[in-house]
Amino acid sequence: MGAEVLGLFGLSSVFALIGLVFAGWMAWRIVEKAGLPGWAGLGAILLTLTGVGTIVPLILLWVFAFMRWPRDEMAGTPAGASSPGRPGSPTALPPPPAALADRRPWRLSGLSASGPVALSMDGTQPAYLLTGAATQQGNELSVPDPTVGQPHARLFVSGGRLGLEDLGTPGGTRIDGARLLPEHGPRDISAARVIHVGTVELTLSRA
Amino acid sequence: MTLVAWLLGLGASLFIFGVVVVHLLMALVLIIPTWRICTRAGFSGALSLFHLVPLIGSFIVMGVLAFSDWPNGEAPSGKR
Repeated sequence: MGAEVLGLFGLSSVFALIGLVFAGWMAWRIVEKAGLPGWAGLGAILLTLTGVGTIVPLILLWVFAFMRWPRDEMAGTPAGASSPGRPGSPTALPPPPAALADRRPWRLSGLSASGPVALSMDGTQPAYLLTGAATQQGNELSVPDPTVGQPHARLFVSGGRLGLEDLGTPGGTRIDGARLLPEHGPRDISAARVIHVGTVELTLSRA
Repeated sequence: MTLVAWLLGLGASLFIFGVVVVHLLMALVLIIPTWRICTRAGFSGALSLFHLVPLIGSFIVMGVLAFSDWPNGEAPSGKR
């Protein structure tokens, strides 16, 4: 009888340990997606092993839910403008600064399924349409690739800065790895380095 | 004898009722913050109702948040 009870206790402990490790791993990933260091999530879960029980992790869960996430700031959302459902509310490009702006053309270069791509935006057009089809108008930029929508995104040149708006194609758009959704509206990408349209990686630079 | 059985039945019912109420209260304490986390991530807040499922409910919610792409965007991996 004693052996059976000991065995049951041991089995429960093994399941509890597996659950704890798994929960710690998931918490690590969740807080990382919000832009916080992963160890914070793991630490919150491991706190259940200590004498403070589950109260402190519960408090941390509430703090995490209602705190400002670095992810929202990275995406360019103004502080305090986020609603619970939509942290990335549509934002227009802010007005250009009064100081002299850098007027060098913007360049997007990369490799698509059809070969090298080199796009230039010199500011002669206020907006450019990024498309997977062949260009038909002066304000269209072609990235011939099956994962690029027709059209895929819109680029804005304003006061020496560059904005990008996703038009909601299945291939998706990413700014330095962060997903850009149509409801985010135009985003300032002047400081970005790598833009993904579909599976095509484009490097942003000034000419 | 009948009275004893009746009292035992009443006691068991009250015990189960108490367990359910405590479980609902505990779940509510988890559901409120999780609802906000889910909506901020771009999922439906109703996903947090999985906390009502005993034992594995919390794991399901965490699993969805941890292993799926957040519709509202995630922090770029290079800046984490």
